[in-house]
Amino acid sequence: MMQNIIIGQYVPGKSYVHNLDPRAKLLTTFLFVIIVFLANNWITYALLGAFTISAIVVSRIPIRFIYNGLKPILLIIILTFFLHVFLTKEGPLLFDLGFIEVYQGGVEQGVFISMRLLFLIMITSLLTLTTTPIDITVGLETLLGPFKRFGLPVHEFALMMSIALRFIPTLLEETEKIMKAQAARGAQFSSGPIKERLKSIVPLLVPLFVSAFKRAEDLAMAMEARGYRGGEGRTSIRLLKWEAKDSLLFVFLLVLSIALILLRS
Amino acid sequence: MDITIKELEHLYSKGTPFERTALKDVDLSIKEGTFLTIIGHTGSGKSTLIQHLNGLLKPTAGSIEIGEFHIKSGEKEKRLKELRKHVGVVFQYPEHQLFEETIEKDIIFGPLNFGVSEEEAKKRAAELIELVGLDHSFLERSPFDLSGGQMRRVAIAGVLAMKPSILILDEPTAGLDPRGRKEIMELFYRLHQEEGLTTILVTHSMEDAARYSDRIVIMEKGTVALQGTPMEVFSDANALKALSLDIPETVQFIKRLEDRFNTTLPHSVFTLEETVEAAVSLLREEES
Repeated sequence: MMQNIIIGQYVPGKSYVHNLDPRAKLLTTFLFVIIVFLANNWITYALLGAFTISAIVVSRIPIRFIYNGLKPILLIIILTFFLHVFLTKEGPLLFDLGFIEVYQGGVEQGVFISMRLLFLIMITSLLTLTTTPIDITVGLETLLGPFKRFGLPVHEFALMMSIALRFIPTLLEETEKIMKAQAARGAQFSSGPIKERLKSIVPLLVPLFVSAFKRAEDLAMAMEARGYRGGEGRTSIRLLKWEAKDSLLFVFLLVLSIALILLRS
Repeated sequence: MDITIKELEHLYSKGTPFERTALKDVDLSIKEGTFLTIIGHTGSGKSTLIQHLNGLLKPTAGSIEIGEFHIKSGEKEKRLKELRKHVGVVFQYPEHQLFEETIEKDIIFGPLNFGVSEEEAKKRAAELIELVGLDHSFLERSPFDLSGGQMRRVAIAGVLAMKPSILILDEPTAGLDPRGRKEIMELFYRLHQEEGLTTILVTHSMEDAARYSDRIVIMEKGTVALQGTPMEVFSDANALKALSLDIPETVQFIKRLEDRFNTTLPHSVFTLEETVEAAVSLLREEES
């Protein structure tokens, strides 16, 4: 059960995608989210698909991890697909079931929207799967650096994020431990009527909150004890290096964008 | 209930890049009423092993028999809950499992889950709170107002309230002060004898192992490296050294005593009291 949660689930590797500068990956993901909306016909969607799939292939992340990341939103994708199929009335009528009419435009729209969602989720999970949380944070902090001038607490934001990311596995581990302890006392989490199952969450959540607060206090204390005083003048031990391969990624992205603009209808 | 473990293997995150062998080729049989101590370095698979004994983890290969219950890889044991009623587990830092508003409610959580009547469960809570060394007035208090040591005692009472016939203790005294440590261990030992429990203790303390166990199992890299009675295990000083484990202080003392007086003492002396007695009688002999 715990294995399905993909956030912060970094899969170590040495592929091209793994070795990219996190800033390059972050920017690419951000730009990809925008150019996904350029696609509006079969050929442009095929291009996006080719880009996404080759990114996954190059990263050598087992397909299972990508699928696990998709699982939670699969239902939403299916739902949007059918909403479009049944509600969009464009193009020639494909068939008529009496109570429901399906048009070609509807099917097309359904497929397009589902693909759009699929590609978005795949690319964003690829980012978290190939980049350590720490790298993402450092990347974000440098990318957002210029906004400090406008009073944006960039450092604090990055720190919060790295702490949150850092503690996801810890909390999951803790959850598993408490679940086991309560299961040993006869609690049942995965069977029985819904009402009972909801009630069984209390013995899990209360200890989890107690320990999370305690952890937070301990962490704050430990940081202060080691002289942490916020971001002012603080340098990072991780220096990001922008290399040719990172620029290459933008060439790919540029080519993709131009192709999309030229081929869209 | 006798416990028989055959060729047990456990892989964590099987089939992913994170796959890791936690246990392999573990064969172990534990007779009813035994006090068994499992010793091993961190990461040697002790905790993984004990979690198999009440079905919290399933073997990836091999089998476990506990009385009439059979746990096998790939097969579902449908009576897991029933099994858990018989096998009580005090986890590491059990105070982390407390959640109820009052201590009484927390202690009766286990028994109620296993179908004990509320009246009976409350009766047990009242007995147990005294047994673990707290008094009656605690029952109505919140478990979160207590000190760490007191929370530990309440959590232990919560496991004992299930009246298990097999009691598994995973470093139950970690982080306690020496006095609390001794009190808690003495409590478990008394229960072990009075109730005829099968007790499985996981510990780093050679002294506890020497003092209480009938049998000792030493785990190393996910498998059983050495097992036997305390006498067999502790007299094999070379094997212990090879596993970079300490010999109990009492045994070390006896060894030096033997060297100094150029004699051999009966090799069944492990507890502090016995050691003192042996030393005293040796000194008396010297005098006379």
